[in-house]
Amino acid sequence: MNGNLAIETKSLTKHYGDVEALTNLDLQVRMGEVFGFLGPNGAGKTTTIRTILDLIRPTSGTASILGMDSHQKSVEIRNHIGYVPDDLSMYPNLTGRDTLTYFSNLRGGVDWSYVDQLAERLDSDLSRKIGDLSSGNRQKVGLIQAFMNKPRLLIMDEPSTGLDPLVQKEFQAMMREVAEEGRSVFLSSHTLSEVQRVADRVGIIRSGVLVEVESVQSLRSKAIRRVEFEFDGSPNSSEFETLPGVRGIELHENRAVISYDGKIDALLQAATRHHNVVDLIIEEADLEEIFLTYYRDAERDTPVKA
Amino acid sequence: MLANVFLKTGRDRILGVFIGGVSVALLLLAGLAIYREIDASFINQLPEFYLQLLSLPEGAGVAGLGFGAILNTIGALTLGGLAISLGSSSIAGEEANGTLGLLLANPVSRTRVLLSKAAAIMGLSLLAVLLLWGAAAITPGMLSVDMTGMMVGSLLVHLFVNTVFYGFLAMAIGAWAGSTSLASGISAGLMVIGWLAVGIFPLISELDFLTEYFPWYYYAGSQPLANGIHWGHLALLAGASLGFVAVAYVGVGRRDLKNGGTKRGVIDRLRDNPRTARLVERFAGSARVSGIVAKTASDHQALTAIVASILFYLGLLYGVFWRLIPENVLQVFQDLPEALIAAIGGADMGTAEGWFQGEMFSLTAPIALFVLTILVGTRALAGEEQKHTMGLLVASPISRRRILIQKVVAMVGLAALVGVATFLGSWSGGLIGDAGIAPIRFAATSLLLTLLGLVMGGVALVLSAAFGRTSVAAYGASLVALLSYFVFSFFPLIGGLQGWSELSPFHYYLGGSPLEMAIDWGHVGVLAALFVLLVAVAVPLFERRDLRG
Repeated sequence: MNGNLAIETKSLTKHYGDVEALTNLDLQVRMGEVFGFLGPNGAGKTTTIRTILDLIRPTSGTASILGMDSHQKSVEIRNHIGYVPDDLSMYPNLTGRDTLTYFSNLRGGVDWSYVDQLAERLDSDLSRKIGDLSSGNRQKVGLIQAFMNKPRLLIMDEPSTGLDPLVQKEFQAMMREVAEEGRSVFLSSHTLSEVQRVADRVGIIRSGVLVEVESVQSLRSKAIRRVEFEFDGSPNSSEFETLPGVRGIELHENRAVISYDGKIDALLQAATRHHNVVDLIIEEADLEEIFLTYYRDAERDTPVKA
Repeated sequence: MLANVFLKTGRDRILGVFIGGVSVALLLLAGLAIYREIDASFINQLPEFYLQLLSLPEGAGVAGLGFGAILNTIGALTLGGLAISLGSSSIAGEEANGTLGLLLANPVSRTRVLLSKAAAIMGLSLLAVLLLWGAAAITPGMLSVDMTGMMVGSLLVHLFVNTVFYGFLAMAIGAWAGSTSLASGISAGLMVIGWLAVGIFPLISELDFLTEYFPWYYYAGSQPLANGIHWGHLALLAGASLGFVAVAYVGVGRRDLKNGGTKRGVIDRLRDNPRTARLVERFAGSARVSGIVAKTASDHQALTAIVASILFYLGLLYGVFWRLIPENVLQVFQDLPEALIAAIGGADMGTAEGWFQGEMFSLTAPIALFVLTILVGTRALAGEEQKHTMGLLVASPISRRRILIQKVVAMVGLAALVGVATFLGSWSGGLIGDAGIAPIRFAATSLLLTLLGLVMGGVALVLSAAFGRTSVAAYGASLVALLSYFVFSFFPLIGGLQGWSELSPFHYYLGGSPLEMAIDWGHVGVLAALFVLLVAVAVPLFERRDLRG
């Protein structure tokens, strides 16, 4: 077991009867990073989280959190984690403050000035009953609950559900601060823009199998971009065809739209060889594109050719 | 009317109604089979007023006893309970679940939703009554029991109208108040109090006139099993039921509907008031969330208070009644043949001890306490799972074992409170009624009652720990409770089965006649050990399982 890892799973497998919810998941989340865990609904994100939290037991394989076995040391581990479940429910007849008091008492107390600070940052009214709150406001209480004991590892399942954009931004800042303090965040999400903004690395899970773990940087550099040139003459497809990384070419009079996942440098050289470039639009590669690519892959079961 | 609202309500509830109907049918079958073993000739020698009391037609034999005890009372209370649960969830339940908004977002009016729900209550009540009718038609033939003079059809017609009455009442209250607990609490309270009143007031001539003020009188008062349908009474019940639909119609039409949300209780108001805020915060606000024990206890404080006060007042009331019952009635009780005494619950109602045991401790008090302990056992684990709060709870640095144990501690505390209230009520009642029962006897009986309640709560806890489903835990534990009562009260009547009644936990509660004799500490030990054993079984079941929520 590696003490520098926040989460480490080895061949983690979970079957529900005949359904393979997770298959041989090998995952490593480091200390001091925000790890984005991406996948569509039903891919196995929640099952992974519930397994490493010892809410459900793996069919085979092991998981360790902060270097401790997730089952043997589950109680010790929970001193150091904060958790936001998906589909968060709390006790409707308690106020936000009561709820936080309850969970803080189960943890042996927290620093209330920090709780107030969190409530202020997220603009959360703790005097109202949970049952009377909108889902976004309820979510804020859940977030405070997870952050309030300054855990070494935050495990959050779709945490920004229902939050308005301003609060989302604040929440993202809070996650970055956690990582900068050397603590870790395990963020399961299908809100790609959020993961793109805060995560250092992402893991992509599909039908219970981890298909990719990479840094956001390198994923983006690998992504297929749409590059649109406007020339002073009519371009010819032969000018681009031979270039490695070109996945598709569309030609319209003076314009060429290239789907490209190679180095921009090389493409520019190829483009300027025969014409002058009048205008150039490079769309930002975003995770959404990458994400969809992975899932289109799955549907077709063949590599994408744009 | 909306066919799909009707069908959906029917589909959601049909299983419960079916289980209820079939249970009563089975009970009827078993009851008749057992009564058949008793020499029933004594029934013909009973004084007429006692036949009236048991609502038996003259010349009734075994069948009368069976139908009277089971269909007339247990059947009616079970079906009434089902209808109340249906009625209170009709409007108020959908509000609490936050689904009413979704339903009304469709192009349907509140009125049509209401009428469809009312139709579903009627349909399901009819289904339950038909199940009983089927059982009543088949059973006597199977057991060759003589049915002369028994108007089962009339009884079932009364039963149907009575069931719909309580269903609509609960629906009307729910439609006005938007609260399921208020709707089911008031309706069930009225039903049970009516049932008790109609059973007891006729014994006391000064109070006899009061029975007519309880709706139960219009169901059972005319004794339809013996005398056939009483159209006047039925018309009153049916008219009142229609009135409830009208009341519900007005209630649901004029009110702002809720969507989920919470109630503001007295404590919330006191917390908001700057003068009381501090004190209340100290004792009721943050105190109730100080830990799992306090939180669990506080979650059930309302029900505990209700159960404890019911048992306190019942104890008090039965003491008062003991004084009021005229000598000649007591004399009749005392002259009852042994077999009949056994058949109506084993209590000799001619003595103060028998009166308290028969009227209060043998059935009413256990049922009231079981409602509480089974609910606590069910909600302890399965409830948190089904409400999706278990994830957060288990994510705290507390082991599953400790979570379970702390919930058990809360259960023991709440049951003990009810036990103390039962003791205080029956003791004071005994003093007022000059019953001459030593306080220590009431204390011993209340202690045994508390332990019996904990055993049933323990059964619910085991099922809750093993399956994580509230319905399995609640139905399962109720079934165990029913079987235990059945084995205890009926097996001793049958030659070869006498010894088996010791298998029932009830045997260790009333088997030693704790109101009459010194407490049998062995019985206390058996019940306590059983409870500890159940908790010990629940722990590994809960620790090993994949949790939901």
